[in-house]
Amino acid sequence: MIELQEKLQQLETFKENATIRIQTLGYFKIWRKNIEVSSKEWGRDKTIQLLQYLISNRFRHALHKEKIMDDLWEDGDDSVFKVALHGVNKVLEPDRPSRTEPTYIVRQGISYQLNSEKIWMDVDALEKYIIIGNEALDSEIQISKTAYKKAIELYQGIFLPNRVYEDWSSEEREKTQILILGAYITLAEIIIEDNPLESIRLAQNALNIDSTWEDAYRIQMKAYILKGNRPQAIKSYKKCVAVLKLEYGIDPLPETQKLIKEIQEIS
Amino acid sequence: MKSKQDQTASFMVRFNQQIFDKDGEANVQWRGKISHVQGGDEKRFSDFNDALSFMEKKLTHLTTEATKNEPIEKQKGILNKSLSMWNTIKQVGPKVIIETIKDPLKQVNNLQDQLQGQITTLGEEISEKVQIDQWRSASRSDMNTIMESINDISSELKKLHTKVNALNKKK
Repeated sequence: MIELQEKLQQLETFKENATIRIQTLGYFKIWRKNIEVSSKEWGRDKTIQLLQYLISNRFRHALHKEKIMDDLWEDGDDSVFKVALHGVNKVLEPDRPSRTEPTYIVRQGISYQLNSEKIWMDVDALEKYIIIGNEALDSEIQISKTAYKKAIELYQGIFLPNRVYEDWSSEEREKTQILILGAYITLAEIIIEDNPLESIRLAQNALNIDSTWEDAYRIQMKAYILKGNRPQAIKSYKKCVAVLKLEYGIDPLPETQKLIKEIQEIS
Repeated sequence: MKSKQDQTASFMVRFNQQIFDKDGEANVQWRGKISHVQGGDEKRFSDFNDALSFMEKKLTHLTTEATKNEPIEKQKGILNKSLSMWNTIKQVGPKVIIETIKDPLKQVNNLQDQLQGQITTLGEEISEKVQIDQWRSASRSDMNTIMESINDISSELKKLHTKVNALNKKK
């Protein structure tokens, strides 16, 4: 327990102490020493684009300049890259003495990588909280709840909403969506007996992301029954049937059909 | 000239597996969602052929857009070639997926064989197409063109080699 509790604390401490904090979910914002970087400091959009690209690819090995150019600005020349990189470094470390190596953008020859161990990023933190939530699920339910709640707090919307049409950002967006869908559903299941209304809300958040997420309808049906609201439980089932028919042309799973039978039998 | 972005269509495919018992028998159902990144459209499917049709539609649009200023006959020819590739994929694609689910290792071996086959074919095609006599009085600019082509081929071969190595490691 101590170990998982410590991990939670470490994540909090890292956020509090990080010189650079980046929000990518719902909005794109950067704080340097707790002060938000203004749009004026960014200068051109290519600077923002390069940093967002490095965030999206932070788990890959250092990225060769040619690959970055190819993915972002295939018609651009070296100067485009140099100016954008200079812009990123200037935003992250405006006071860095000249001829010293940047701290946050690590260079290996002509390959570049974001030093994610020194930058707090919401998308990273969200994943780490969910990992803790999952690890604690069987043994330390309180820690699990806290971790999922922290992850959910961080999810302010899709990953880099201003780059939805750029294929280099799709992978991270999809991954984050699946993670948060899992967090909503798992937390809703954990707390359903104690707080069915909150479970209904969490399940609705999952449905707002993916209206065909059948688990979420079942949670809502159970939660409404716990609240004594049978008509609303039946309404949730009907909505589930309609959405699955429309989107996939299929019926709900036997588990969902069994649940509605049980609900209908309640007098 | 069309930019690479104009010539590219990216798709994100999500598969969601549902395992359940029905009438005492275990069943699995796949639900999927395919998104066209550049256009933002998406489609859900429970039959993978619907996902392929979605892709085909988007790619046909891409080819049509890229050839809209070409003469009708040329445009038709390009579209036919584009669609014939799709017919092959639509026939083979779902089978590959089903077989991968059933036996991933076997499928890796199949893919590896296909890659090796392509490398061999590529080598043969290069040796057939390079006719040295035509290049004996080549200019400096011709030589640069050759060098660029060789670099491109070498880069492609490296990528294939890396893929084959990766597949070998997975075995």
